[in-house]
Amino acid sequence: MVIVVGTALAFDFTNGFHDTANVVATSISTGAARPQVAIGFASLLNFVGAFISISVAATVANDVVDSAVITPTIVFAGLIGAIAWNLITWWFGLPSSSSHALIGGVVGSAVAAAGLEAVIAEGLVGKVLIPAVIAPLVAFVVAGLGIGLAYRIAGRQRPGPVTRGFRYGQVISGGLLALAHGTNDAQKTMGVITLALIANGTLGTGADPPLWVIVSSATAIGLGTYIGGWRIIRTTGSRIIKMDAAQGFSAQGAGAAVILASTHFGFPLSTTHVINGGVMGAGAGKRISAVRWGVAGNIMVAWLLTLPAAAAIGAAAYGLTRIFGTGALGPVLVTLMALALVVAAFARRSQQGAPMPAS
Amino acid sequence: MATIVETKELVETVIASVIAGVGVTAVFSVAIWGGARFVDFSRDGRPVAAAAAVAVSVLALGATLAAVAFGIVVMTSK
Repeated sequence: MVIVVGTALAFDFTNGFHDTANVVATSISTGAARPQVAIGFASLLNFVGAFISISVAATVANDVVDSAVITPTIVFAGLIGAIAWNLITWWFGLPSSSSHALIGGVVGSAVAAAGLEAVIAEGLVGKVLIPAVIAPLVAFVVAGLGIGLAYRIAGRQRPGPVTRGFRYGQVISGGLLALAHGTNDAQKTMGVITLALIANGTLGTGADPPLWVIVSSATAIGLGTYIGGWRIIRTTGSRIIKMDAAQGFSAQGAGAAVILASTHFGFPLSTTHVINGGVMGAGAGKRISAVRWGVAGNIMVAWLLTLPAAAAIGAAAYGLTRIFGTGALGPVLVTLMALALVVAAFARRSQQGAPMPAS
Repeated sequence: MATIVETKELVETVIASVIAGVGVTAVFSVAIWGGARFVDFSRDGRPVAAAAAVAVSVLALGATLAAVAFGIVVMTSK
């Protein structure tokens, strides 16, 4: 269980690290906040956000796979599948979703262990797959409508006060986006740890995450966001989309609205896809050609690949772990193998130069 | 199908997202419009119009903050 919880928290840390760019890029790009301030603020609000709801954690723990047939080894293998897929997409620069990788990994290892009966189809389709398709589209439309109205209402005024006003507004919208990110993403890790605790018999079926799970998940994603942010500071100038303050406000507002509303109903979304949907909507609302449609295509490809690929790796990780029996030896050896691969990948990549972040 | 796809919750999510996302952006834009007009009217020596503009701006800003607070309260109430 210690290995499973440690692996889950490591995943949560990398989730925050991985997604910092999504959360703070818009505020930094428009000049609404200095990078240090934006990252510190985002880190704090990611931490706080993890405490305000447990609906998503409940969905991940109880509505995606049948907790009655789940074992800690299945959860461990699922996490390995998610981490491995994140590493692969990072290597190739694909904009993947950590959330979909996590759910795909757990589903794949559960199917490998207990067959298709281990999957709760209603939960997987109704609470994961359908919202995964709808949410980025809603963010796109909301941001597009929002920026259209903003330009119509305030666009004819002198640009100076309007830009300053929307920059101040981005303090609110950027804060809400960070809060929303922490709320939805940290809960996925809480849900997975809770699932492992249920599988281990530590908690009863249908139990909510204990306080220590909430605190540790909040801390991991907050720290990941903070530490990931310092890497972003060095790369911000060349890698993020240029947009004006009104577009930034609209994109962040749309993203936060969609994520918070979805979290309320327990839908575990890809926050990456929702935020990118909002950014593209705000871009398209001003000028259709402003949107990097190539990036949109990459997101679509990565989205289609992530669930099945993470599931396949999760299934393979389960098979590999079980070769060494049902005790702790399998997870320990697989963790060491995974760590060796991660170190090798980072070493190779650092020799070749850093890739585009797979945000 | 309706039991697999949680239609009611999805529709409510979409409606809430549209109202919150578009509504807050529109209302905050009104606040900015009021602020910008206040500066212009003040510069032109039109104190009544400037006062009206700043009142609109303050009301819209209050509505924006109230909407954000309401959203967070709804989130935490479940």
